[in-house]
Parts: sequence; C-alpha cells; structure tokens
Amino acid sequence: MSNEVALITSAVLLVTAVAALLSKRISISLITLFYSSITLGIIFTLYNGVLVGLLHIVTFAGAVSVLLLTAILMVGEPKLDMNASQAAVATLGAVLVVVALAAYDLLGGLPTVPGPASSYPPTALLQFVWLFRPWDLLILLMVFAASMIVVVNLFSQEEP
Amino acid sequence: MVTDQLIFLVTAGAMVFLGLGSMSLSRNLIKTIMSFQVLVFGVNLALFASSLGGQFSLISNSLVLFSIIVGACVEAVGLAIVVAVYRKYGTLNPSEIRRLRN
Repeated sequence: MSNEVALITSAVLLVTAVAALLSKRISISLITLFYSSITLGIIFTLYNGVLVGLLHIVTFAGAVSVLLLTAILMVGEPKLDMNASQAAVATLGAVLVVVALAAYDLLGGLPTVPGPASSYPPTALLQFVWLFRPWDLLILLMVFAASMIVVVNLFSQEEP
Repeated sequence: MVTDQLIFLVTAGAMVFLGLGSMSLSRNLIKTIMSFQVLVFGVNLALFASSLGGQFSLISNSLVLFSIIVGACVEAVGLAIVVAVYRKYGTLNPSEIRRLRN
C-alpha cells in the first residue's frame, strides 16, 4: 500500500485527536473523538486487521461514545479550560520535539526481530485466537465482567 | 526510507504524548477520560504498527484486541467514578474536589 494512504489517515487521526483535546466545548470534543475512533478503525481495516478494526469501531465509536454522551448528559456541559495556557503550549512544543526526535531516530531503520512465526500454521485470525490464545479470551471476559460489576455498583450508590 | 510502519509509529508516539500531556493539564474529569482515550488510541496504533511488514501480525492483532477491551473497560469504570464524584461533590474540577473533601 502506498505511503500516501498512511500519511493521509495519520494526518486525519492526529488532527481529530488534537481537535478533541484542545476544543473548549465538550460536545465538539466528543464528535471529533468519534471521528478519531472511526479513522483508527479504518486504518486497522486497511492494513489487514479487519476484525480488530471492526471491534475498535464498535467499541470506541459505538459503546464508549454513547457512554461519554450519557455521562455528559448526566453532569451537564461543564466549562472546559486547560490549567494554564502557557503550560499547554509548552506541552505541545515538547510533544513536537519528542516526535521529531523519534522520527529522526526511526529513520535509521527498525531492527527486525527473528522469531518462530514460521512455525504457526496458516490459519485464519479467529481460528488462531480460539486455538492458541484461549486464556486471553477468558481473561478478557473476566475483565469485562469485573468492570461491569464495578459500574453497576458505582451507579447504584445512593446519594447521602 | 519512510515506510507506513514508521509513519504510524510516529503518529502513535504523538498521540501518546498528547494524551499524557492533556491528562496532566486537564481541569475536568471528563476531559481526562477523553485524554485517556486518545492515549489508548496511540497505544493500539503502536501495537498494530509494530507488526506491519513483519511476521507477528496475528500476535499483534491479539494484543490490540486485548488492549481495546481493557481500554474500554477502564473508560467505563472511569466514567462511572466521574458520575459518582459529581453526585457527591457537584463539580468535576479535581482541585475543587480536593478542597471540598478537606
């Protein structure tokens, strides 16, 4: 796949993320974060990660966005401002410097790590997950169930 | 030579640092959760990009899958805590909450 696709999708992802973080209105932040989730899901899908991309879109653009919207509706739209604008500008500058340094370092080429990947049978992703990583799925289910219990407990607390 | 992997890794690094910076500077708990979401996006992209053009795409996909579920669960719990804190203190400003608690 050509570099232009990666460049365009990365630019869209960064712009939407920065817009979500720097926006003063929380509704604008929510909308741009939604677009950021969609863009990241599209990146995964374009680069042969269809299952991951679809799960990402369903989870973050769907469920988490609705959760955020519900929380915002419950607490109202508060005033959003950064702690100090100078600190925000300094952080943004530091981020740019770190990214430039990382890009300069990475331009030298990434080391390739040899591994036993050739021993894996050429199965589909779902089959691979179910055959070789059952504990991952079990742990995921446990994490999901535990978080749901915590959420239900927190929402069911009575006001003093 | 600039590759897709390099572009995505740099983007992921930028998103992680942006999320961390915004989390530390935010004065609103919902904005903090949003910053955490951007951080999770960066981590997911880095995990995914680390296997582009390599041999470990299946393991990378499994790790991204894991990260997506754990990130979503953490965000759900965080939002529930935010709502509970707002019910108790009536504000989402962490310093104001600290002052009211004292």
